[in-house]
Amino acid sequence: MFRFPKLYKFKRLSLIVLLVAAFATTVVNAKVKGVGHYGYGKVATAEEIAGWDIDIRPDGRGLPPGSGSVEDGEILYEDQCASCHGSFGEGVGKYPVLAGGEGTLTEERPEKTVGSFWAHTSTLFDYIRRAMPFPQPASLSDEETYAITAYVLYLNDLVEDDFVLSQDTWDEVAKLPNNSNFVPDPRPDTQAVRCMKDCKKEVKIVSEPTITAEEVAAADDTIVKAAAGNENEKGASVYNGACAVCHNSGVAGAPKLDDKATWKARLALGEATLIKHAIEGFQGDAGMMPPKGGRMDLSDEDVAAAVKFMLAEAE
Amino acid sequence: MRQPKVEETDRLLTEIAKSGDQLPAAERRQFLKSGLSMLGGAAALAGAAKYAPPNVPPWTKSLGAPVIADPYGQPSPFEKDVVRRNVPWLTADRIASISFTPLADIKGIITPSGLVFERYHAGRPEIDPDEHHLMIHGMVDRPIILSMDELMRFPSTSMIRFLECPANGGMEWRGAQMTKLQFTHGMLSCCEWTGVLLSTILAEVGVQKGANWILAEGADGSLMSRSIPMEKALDDALVVFAQNGEALRREQGYPIRLINPGWEGNTCIKWLRRLEIGDSPYYQREETSKYTDLMPDGKAREFTFVQEANSVVTTPSPENPLKGKGKYWLEGLAWSGRGKVKAVDVSFDGGISWRPARLTGMIEPRALTRFGLEWDWDGSPALIQSRCIDETGYVQPTYTQLRAVRGSSSIYHKNAIHTWRLHADGSVTNVQVS
Ligand code: HEC
Ligand code: HEC
Repeated sequence: MFRFPKLYKFKRLSLIVLLVAAFATTVVNAKVKGVGHYGYGKVATAEEIAGWDIDIRPDGRGLPPGSGSVEDGEILYEDQCASCHGSFGEGVGKYPVLAGGEGTLTEERPEKTVGSFWAHTSTLFDYIRRAMPFPQPASLSDEETYAITAYVLYLNDLVEDDFVLSQDTWDEVAKLPNNSNFVPDPRPDTQAVRCMKDCKKEVKIVSEPTITAEEVAAADDTIVKAAAGNENEKGASVYNGACAVCHNSGVAGAPKLDDKATWKARLALGEATLIKHAIEGFQGDAGMMPPKGGRMDLSDEDVAAAVKFMLAEAE
Repeated sequence: MRQPKVEETDRLLTEIAKSGDQLPAAERRQFLKSGLSMLGGAAALAGAAKYAPPNVPPWTKSLGAPVIADPYGQPSPFEKDVVRRNVPWLTADRIASISFTPLADIKGIITPSGLVFERYHAGRPEIDPDEHHLMIHGMVDRPIILSMDELMRFPSTSMIRFLECPANGGMEWRGAQMTKLQFTHGMLSCCEWTGVLLSTILAEVGVQKGANWILAEGADGSLMSRSIPMEKALDDALVVFAQNGEALRREQGYPIRLINPGWEGNTCIKWLRRLEIGDSPYYQREETSKYTDLMPDGKAREFTFVQEANSVVTTPSPENPLKGKGKYWLEGLAWSGRGKVKAVDVSFDGGISWRPARLTGMIEPRALTRFGLEWDWDGSPALIQSRCIDETGYVQPTYTQLRAVRGSSSIYHKNAIHTWRLHADGSVTNVQVS
């Protein structure tokens, strides 16, 4: 079941003692104030709570109604996840690996994945629904989340290809293989002493950085530096902040910034149309361009500047 | 050390006199002497500059900018290089990423708000405070939704506390890797935080029997979330709306964030929207897949909250090389998530012998604490280290001691004694020693 430091398991009594202690030490609370003392805010209704209460706990508390199959999950995963996490969960570039790595935790380079490291399936469902797919967080329906969660389990060889995940089958998969290998924090776990003299016989340098500061700077491939003649600074900054996440690598079918042929073909529509598509969103053959790249805080002018920057880069 | 510019002479003189004030008489005389000799050096150098005495610079013979030339003041343009930086190869993009505080230029225990390191999981949201709400629910008698105006009506309190990512220095577990102080230790900042104690809010909603944990959740695109034990919530956890006297910066969670003093930065949920009171931890992604510490036996430690005692020398450092032999004021920062810094020692020979340093300035619990030491550099190479001892008696460990217990795959909580290699030409590089 749950494993957490004994320290934090305390009874009602110690809780009250702590409460009193906490208040006694603060200047602003001379004595414990009763429930509703200030009366600020509005009492939350069940409906209001339900809209935000999205967490799933290891025992399945919080799971929504619905279900999803490995079969449906495969299509959704290929469509919405594989561009970053790989078709087999192997991870593309620096994006996280989701599958494999079993038995590597004690090796020199451990590979920590859902199958090799994670403890609870609830964490997977909860996280996918709250934060993925990365460019459009919290966009998946409950049914889709069930299906994709089932598929990630399948990628980790934890269920068969006919598996359907729902509240009814939850207990079968609730605990992931590495579940029993998490332990409470034992720190302080070092016993250094304050020696002042002759603390060791000799000192040898055992390691130095292998890369230079210049190499580090040169390796900055996440920021597109404008090509000569492209003086659209605002566009560059909007692009790097809001559009690069898809258009640098071609994630989700986004035309890559340096794919000149694609941009030339698209430009046939005219710059105004491309700007309109970028602002309003656009479903094409390649994929789905979300309105303003999902960044609704950007003004239309910001997005237009970014499109102009992209087109100038592609020239 | 930066070469003082001539127009800085006055300021330096005042500063030296001021810091000298805090020293005992004998040391003070010594300090002033060395400070003045430093100034002498600066003046000699400044002799080459156009406006050194007896010449008078143009800004003395003309009018300056009027008030509200900058309605919100900015640092001098001469300080343009004092900025946050990132390490591109660390993360796939800059949206789920981290930037580092320029510690080499930090000259106090308060990190200016614009230099506080950033850590995002889904980028920095732009939140209208009138549209932001904090919901507190779960095992409580009176679940409520607070507007920001309502939250700010509660009695508030302020505290100066450091904020550190548990991955600070994590790139160094397997060997020295980063080339600058900004990157070896810069996931670290310290601010004055103002807000409402979480215990005040919990008393208002009435925590029910059996409630031991709280889920804190942000309103950003990652709905960043962590479980906080009730003990911490009732101790010193703060729901913060102001930083260094002004509204929290967007990078730091505007309009509100949680601060759990002395604990992993990621528990200090930014853009805080929800607190759910429950009976057990929620096992979120950021407390299982991430922010757990893998040990050599394959077991992983969970809920490793505390940031243990740590320290680093900021001058000399790669960014602050020495300019020739002579007297120097070595300085650095120390901190501990368990309380106050009690002492800091400095070694020049890679840890064979140590000298106690002086704690210079305010000593607050769980806050950055400055230390310094006067040192006469004879121009020979040195291996410079600092070691923090906190009020619990805990002594900062060496890499050897740390790795003996934890191996080198745990990513987080690397607080080993750091070594700067000072070369004969005054340049400084990052090394690890036996
Ligand atoms: C544009 C690239 C991208 C796409 C598309 C994407 N992800 Fe992710 N994913 C990321 C990034 C980046 C992270 C790490 C975020 C962080 O560290 O905060 C991540 C993290 C994860 C993790 C946690 C990994 C770990 O080891 O902790 C899971 C699980 C995951 N994604 C599942 C999915 C699923 C399922 C989909 C499709 C619905 C998806 N992702 C689509 C980029 C992507
Ligand atoms: C979530 C990923 C994503 C983000 C973020 C994103 N795009 Fe796109 N974008 C796409 C995809 C996918 C397409 C291809 C749509 C198609 O043609 O099928 C596209 C296409 C486009 C096009 C071509 C439209 C056309 O009519 O051919 C433009 C212009 C564009 N994006 C601009 C932007 C700008 C500007 C931003 C940032 C403000 C941005 N994109 C952010 C995914 C993204």
